[in-house]
Amino acid sequence: MPAVGMENARRTQAFLTARRAGLVGCAVCGRVQAPGPATCLRCGSRLTSRDPQSLQRVWAWLLAGIVAYVPANVYPMLLTSTMGRTRENTIIGGVLELAGHGSWGVAAIVFTASVVIPIGKFIAIAYLALSVTSAVVIRGHGRQRLYEVVEFIGRWSMIDVFVVAILAALVRFNFAATVNPGIAAVSFALSVAFTMLSAQSFDPRLIWDAYEADDT
Amino acid sequence: MTDLRPAELDISAPRPSPWRNLSFVWLVPILALAVSLGVAWQSFAARGVLIEITFLNASGVTAGETTVRFRDVVVGRVERVHFADDLSQVIVAARIDRDLAPYLDADAQFWVVRPEVTTRGITGLSTVLSGVYIEGAWDAVAGTPQTRFAGLEGAPVVRPGREGRQITLRSTDGKLITAGAPVLFRGIEVGRLDQPRLTVSGDSIVVDAFIEAPHDRRLTDATRFWDTSGFSVSLGAGGLSLDVESLATLVAGGIAFDDIYEGGKPVGPGYVFDIYPDEATARRSVFVRSSGNAVRLAVAFDESVSGLAPGAPVRLGGLEVGKVEALSAELRDTGAGPDIRLIANLAIDPALIGLPRGAGREEVLDFFEEAVGRGLRARLATASLFSATLVVELAEIEDAAPAVFDRDAEPLPLLPSVESDLPDFTATAEGVLERINALPIEELLQQAIATLASVEALARAESTVALPDSARSLVEDLRAIVNDEATRSLPTELRAAVADLRQVVAELREGGAIDNLAAAVERASAAAANIATASEDFPALVEDLRALAAKANALEAEELVAAATRVLESADAVIGTEEAKALPPALTGALEEVRATLAELRAGGVVENANATMASARSAADAVAEAARGLPQLSARLEALVAQAEGLVGAYGARSDFNAETLAALREVRAAARAVSQLARAIERNPNSLILGR
Repeated sequence: MPAVGMENARRTQAFLTARRAGLVGCAVCGRVQAPGPATCLRCGSRLTSRDPQSLQRVWAWLLAGIVAYVPANVYPMLLTSTMGRTRENTIIGGVLELAGHGSWGVAAIVFTASVVIPIGKFIAIAYLALSVTSAVVIRGHGRQRLYEVVEFIGRWSMIDVFVVAILAALVRFNFAATVNPGIAAVSFALSVAFTMLSAQSFDPRLIWDAYEADDT
Repeated sequence: MTDLRPAELDISAPRPSPWRNLSFVWLVPILALAVSLGVAWQSFAARGVLIEITFLNASGVTAGETTVRFRDVVVGRVERVHFADDLSQVIVAARIDRDLAPYLDADAQFWVVRPEVTTRGITGLSTVLSGVYIEGAWDAVAGTPQTRFAGLEGAPVVRPGREGRQITLRSTDGKLITAGAPVLFRGIEVGRLDQPRLTVSGDSIVVDAFIEAPHDRRLTDATRFWDTSGFSVSLGAGGLSLDVESLATLVAGGIAFDDIYEGGKPVGPGYVFDIYPDEATARRSVFVRSSGNAVRLAVAFDESVSGLAPGAPVRLGGLEVGKVEALSAELRDTGAGPDIRLIANLAIDPALIGLPRGAGREEVLDFFEEAVGRGLRARLATASLFSATLVVELAEIEDAAPAVFDRDAEPLPLLPSVESDLPDFTATAEGVLERINALPIEELLQQAIATLASVEALARAESTVALPDSARSLVEDLRAIVNDEATRSLPTELRAAVADLRQVVAELREGGAIDNLAAAVERASAAAANIATASEDFPALVEDLRALAAKANALEAEELVAAATRVLESADAVIGTEEAKALPPALTGALEEVRATLAELRAGGVVENANATMASARSAADAVAEAARGLPQLSARLEALVAQAEGLVGAYGARSDFNAETLAALREVRAAARAVSQLARAIERNPNSLILGR
């Protein structure tokens, strides 16, 4: 197949997928086995060559995450009452206030954790899901790396929620100062959870199917 | 050739319905969307109504923080603070709870509550920590909702929804009226004053006040308001009186009101109450109130009107019926040259002279025309006894010179006047004072002082002071006599002597010496007769003493001293006489002699010595007789002494232990006297028993 070799010249190397080899790879333990049994012979997890509903679940969780992300930004995250005065802060409001006080570092962290990462995740997951069915720019390895990054970083989005939870638990000085979580805290936590589930639902093997489709 | 071939069938597996493979996971975003939309809808639906309140300044109002409160409950929050287009005002946009929106109609009021320190206390203290807030007030009646309101500078006096009544007060002096000052009714705060303001014409000050229900029911046309600010000091016939209301009104001023008379009619809206400077004026105002339709008259006086001033009252029968409005002089050309008359213009209130309400000028003039016909004249009188100010008095003079009421005179109807009796009164008063002045008060006082001095001297005199002492010494002397052993033993010794005698006589009888005895008995009976005669004098003597005592009793106070002194002297004399002192021993001596004789008799042979015995018995009887002769005298003297002393004591009165002692002493003396007189009586009754023992 000289043509193939020509086409794949810029690839690091050619590879064979389990599917093409007529085998099924376990998504959990990675054992490759002949199709037939419904469960992995080694680890006992459910065995499918490709999850047909994977993309649906990805899109569903992603949509839920995006929906939950809206109130998380519109409603107040923190209800702070100090000496009888009550203040309400949304995520962006808090970032702006921190920046206004000159705490650029903290503002940057909060902004990254609460805005950049969730939105980046939405885009990344949507891109990966799209890349399975349509032609995309990034090639297989890049997409695989993107998927891994998204999976890794997802949990760090919860930093804001943790801050709110800790503050609300610790700052209880009645009249002097009290911190209460707002609706946004719940929404934000749900949003992060939904996007994590979305990323989990994604079957990375689809990346390579699309990769092969690109080739042919 | 037709190569008939069946059309190629497009055979393909039926496409699986996309719905069939639909994952249940899609429920999650749908649920999330539903929840989000639900929350959004809820918060949108519950979102309050945005209203705009304009303030001149919005110090302390912060967007997003400042709350709007109604009855101290947070009902909204300021969302935005911005300026009006011409920068003349601050517009505070606030969102108010939807439930309350229908009540935000034209009567809603808003003001910013800030900490405030006034004379009535500190308010809004909570805003020091929590920041200012906007307080709203509106009634419970839903009206046409509004969204633009003009904010107040401070808390309004009348809050919408409060039961009560708003009234208008008028004063000429706004010095002591401050906004928020209390309105008091019998010292209880029942309302507040609003901001005072000048009327357009600038001649008076008008202030709105709010009287809380149910006290607003007391507002009638009989109600008078007066100023209670500060304090008032008045010095009058009733003494010094200092009036101070509460401390708050002292500093901030205040208004009090009360119904001056019963049965006032309720007042309609727009009724303006006057504020009187003090309570007394307010209460008096009932008589000078309706001076609006006063009828003006003039009086010409030929005498000096010095002391009469505009505003002086015009009195009819002592009651104030009007005022002097103006004084002027008028030149009148008579035949003998120009003559000056002094004209006083009077304003008479028709209602106060008893004419029916609504009586006009004609009725008043008719009244005066008729009254002048009866002799009514105007004259000057002093306002009070000690003042030089004058009032105009309308009085009916009995024998007044005929005069007419000139109702067509120009410029005012002229009321005839008479010469006042002012100078006469002054003269009389002066005369009275002169006469008082001429009284010899100084001499009188001197004399009184001298009298008192002499009385004092008398009281201080040594003899007066010593009197009780000498009386006491007399009693003591008396007691000494009575207590004397000799006196005491007298009766027993007598008895012993008698017993002895009896024995002797018995022996004699047995001895047959009876005959010799006759002579002795003769002598003894003579002695007894002596005693009897002496005893006969007793009653008379006692009577005399009684008389003396009575006389002493009847003596006046001054004479008492002298009498007492005399008594004491005579008592002294009695006690001091040698006789009195020697008496008991003498008696004793006599008895001793008798006893000695009897002893001798007994010792010697009875018969042989009979003669000698008889002789000594005779001498003993003699001695007894002699002693007995002295007895009545002694008894009488003692009795007299007792009576005198008794009189003295009686004069002194039943008091003091001196008295008690004296009485005791007297009792003893009397007992002694009684014993003596009993003896004497016994001897008198039966002289022979002394000797014969029967």
